[in-house]
Amino acid sequence: MRANFIFSEVWIGLRRNLTMTIAVIVTVAIGMALLGIGLMVNSQVAKMRGFWSDKVEVSAFLCKKNDPLPSCKGSKGVTEQARADLQARIQGMAQVESVEFENSAKAYENFKSTYGENDVLVKAIQVEDMPESFRVKVKNPEEYGTVIDELKNVAGISMVVDERELLDGFFDLMEKIRGFALMIAGFLVLAVILLIGNTVRLSAYNRRRETGIMRLVGASNLYIQLPFVMEGVIAGLLGGVVSAVLLIVTKVFLFDSVSINLAAGTQLTWNDVAQVILGTMVIGVIICILASFVTLRRYLRV
Amino acid sequence: MIHFDNVTKVYANQNRPALDHVSVDVDKGEFVFLVGPSGSGKSTFLRLILKEERPNSGAIHVAGKDLARLSNFKVPHLRRRIGCVFQDFRLLPNKNVYENVAFALEVIGKPRRFIRKVVPEVVELVGLEGKAHRMPDELSGGEQQRVAMARAFVNRPMILLADEPTGNIDPATSIGIMKVLDRINRTGTTVVMATHDAAIVDSMRKRVVELEDGKIVRDQSRGVYGQAY
Repeated sequence: MRANFIFSEVWIGLRRNLTMTIAVIVTVAIGMALLGIGLMVNSQVAKMRGFWSDKVEVSAFLCKKNDPLPSCKGSKGVTEQARADLQARIQGMAQVESVEFENSAKAYENFKSTYGENDVLVKAIQVEDMPESFRVKVKNPEEYGTVIDELKNVAGISMVVDERELLDGFFDLMEKIRGFALMIAGFLVLAVILLIGNTVRLSAYNRRRETGIMRLVGASNLYIQLPFVMEGVIAGLLGGVVSAVLLIVTKVFLFDSVSINLAAGTQLTWNDVAQVILGTMVIGVIICILASFVTLRRYLRV
Repeated sequence: MIHFDNVTKVYANQNRPALDHVSVDVDKGEFVFLVGPSGSGKSTFLRLILKEERPNSGAIHVAGKDLARLSNFKVPHLRRRIGCVFQDFRLLPNKNVYENVAFALEVIGKPRRFIRKVVPEVVELVGLEGKAHRMPDELSGGEQQRVAMARAFVNRPMILLADEPTGNIDPATSIGIMKVLDRINRTGTTVVMATHDAAIVDSMRKRVVELEDGKIVRDQSRGVYGQAY
């Protein structure tokens, strides 16, 4: 009886305020989708950091014959003996975990596999053009700075590239995207609160006869307010469903393709997405309930 | 049943009190007319009984409860024991007679079986048998007021408050309304009726409490409306 009665009231309320209800659903959907995207960027970045943390290295490139870089001035190239000495010296540094040598041929292979689709570029570059380098792994990630500074001063090394810097740029971008998504989500939450306030106010006005009589015959506050709150909850839930669809689409077409290209095996699992969807839905519904209650206290004196 | 002890009510932004040190007792099963010109405090008196307004000073007891100590949470339970009828009927235009009366029980969570049993009884009590499926706009003013009375009485309240129930109804029909109120009173329900209608008060010969400028100027059993009118 009770549930029946409340749901018929809710249905009437939603139908009378159809345009407002749609506005609430759309705003909740976009707001919660952006919030969800923020959360997904978060866990994607965490996964990628984990993936890269044991793969990043410092590359120390060796001087070639007539190398134009200032650190190699007058260099006639590095002889095999000098190269072995260098490797031993780097290996001897306290912070270094391992050193690997990459010759021109191997560097060319890597280059080809990365830019294989770009025929023009691959053809323009010869094996001899590729620099030789040491790939240095550091024991403790915090000691990269000192290792890099030391390597820079070693004769015969043309350039030191810290791969983390390249990654940091990427992670910075991801964090900016996340911040932006969360900021817009925040504004939309504000819009949701105001919209629901308006919807409830209209609803309360439309049904003032009914609520007046309910008050008079002694219906409890909960009984009078519940249909209005349920309107908010249902609009919030529908918005949540739409946002879930948006989040699934984002995972499949955006996150998966980015992570496959950048760090294979770090795709968000469906479990991650399900958690995000659940979280955003709960947040959306709670916002709707709170907004309804606050407005009801103002516009529906009991 | 209703006990006012030195009650004063001043509305905000008004310097003259709506009720000024009013003390009155209404016993169980009594029928009381509340008379007096507009603005004399009749409606305020009724609103105080429902705890729609709070007095500035004085104590009010209704059905054995001290309203000052009654928490807001419990006010709905107080109102379930009080039925209300107004000059403007206050029916739901999109519900028929049966649904309007049933609404009062639905919203306090009564089971459907109970509603199906008592609503037709009350509809018959107010003399609307055979009209249960009419919409309010298909009824005369007198019939609409009967629906309102059925709704007020369907939960068997201890008290029935009527605020000028015959105000919108012609004198001939008013007699019928008064008969229903009398019938309700005979079931043991206390009835308090605010009215301007001298003919009705004079014909019923019930207790009359007269208010003027928020003060009780007359309280007489088996009274009449008053010589001045």
